Amino acid sequence: MKETILNPIFKGNPITVLVLGICSSLAVTVTMKGALVMALSVIAVTGISSLILSLLRNTIPSRVRIIVQLVVVAMMVILVDQILKSFEATYAIDKQLSVYIGLIITNCIVMGRIEAFALGNKPWPSFLDGVANGAGYGMILLIVAFFRELLGSGTLFGVDILNWLGYVPNNLVILPPFALILLGCIVWVQRSIQKDLQEK
Amino acid sequence: MNTNSNTYTIIYTTIIVTLVAAILAFVSQSLKSKQEANEKADTISQMMTAAQFGTKADFQKIGNSAVLAKYAEEIGQAFTVGTDGKKIADLDLDKVYSPKELKNQNYKIKDGNQPEIPVFVFKNGVTVVPVYGAGLWGPVWGYIAFEPSSNSIKGAYFDHESETAGLGAKIKDDPEFQAEFIGEQADFASANVFDIVKGGAPKNQDGTSVTDNKIDAITGATMTSNGLDAAIDTWLGAYSAYFKMTATSKSCCEETKTEEE
Repeated sequence: MKETILNPIFKGNPITVLVLGICSSLAVTVTMKGALVMALSVIAVTGISSLILSLLRNTIPSRVRIIVQLVVVAMMVILVDQILKSFEATYAIDKQLSVYIGLIITNCIVMGRIEAFALGNKPWPSFLDGVANGAGYGMILLIVAFFRELLGSGTLFGVDILNWLGYVPNNLVILPPFALILLGCIVWVQRSIQKDLQEK
Repeated sequence: MNTNSNTYTIIYTTIIVTLVAAILAFVSQSLKSKQEANEKADTISQMMTAAQFGTKADFQKIGNSAVLAKYAEEIGQAFTVGTDGKKIADLDLDKVYSPKELKNQNYKIKDGNQPEIPVFVFKNGVTVVPVYGAGLWGPVWGYIAFEPSSNSIKGAYFDHESETAGLGAKIKDDPEFQAEFIGEQADFASANVFDIVKGGAPKNQDGTSVTDNKIDAITGATMTSNGLDAAIDTWLGAYSAYFKMTATSKSCCEETKTEEE
């Protein structure tokens, strides 16, 4: 059980080890707020769709299982989008994240974990696996967003941190290429700590 | 049970899809009023941003109810006009046009089917009108504010549904693009009321934009720029009779205003 939760967060992290979900991690990490909302949305989608599909796993006709997975995941994504649009606090963030909320459905982490784990395991472990994978994704998102917002805007969660010290925000950090550079650095750090990830 | 038989598969998928559709329809209906309230506050803050009452970020910070209160404080009159420039009807002062309503009017303008397009006049005389059209991936719309009884642009704000982030989305996200509009002048006598020019608008020697009806398009977003250009031409074209009338009656109206005061 502990392994189910901890593995996706560190040793088998979906972004840095499996290299899934890169596209959105470059796009939504300009601000901490955006990254946090995206992380929570992905956790909700992976967790709950894993749970639903694990409950249904013995009834799903195997020939149409991908379609059934897709229908459930799509439903979750639309629900998350609708809910974000309904609250004053999240409406602006939903607009800022725009297509990327809808694109959670194409995030390989979601379908990948359902196909690889939820269809072969009991509901509770599947739910934990989904949540943990979402959390592993979200953690990297927040780390990247931390550096990008701090260095790119001089703020964190919109609160001024560096600007009053006379820091001049670096525009390169705001652009997507810098997110890729940061991700590369994170992969580098992780691989130098976990030697067994290194290819011979 | 044999879960691989054809009958089972068909019945199973039918049930799943119907169930999901029912859930989504229910959620969509029950959240609708909240979403519409958010959209309305957003639209109002876009209009007020165009009219230079503050920046979009300011309005986001103060929250929906404060935005509505500020709008109620500043708005002078709101009414609809036809393409002949004549006023059709007064609008309630808390009424704004959602992107969906703009879309309906957009069809009417294009078909020459007696559109009723809204004009919002703030108490300081600034007139705000909407524009709506097709971008690259979806609709683009926005608000252009004019100085009192003039064709000189005070400000503009644009929004979009699904333009590419970092390229077409700059019509909304890039304050420099919106700032280009400030001080330019719409040419209501011409069919090209306003131009977003690929390759650069005429510049003064010091690099500032010439005061005319042309601004620079966005690099890498030709389709979005063209779409926005067409949207502005169509809508300001539809408003041109109205603006010509307010310009000719300028002296008369200013006098009446002072009398009222």
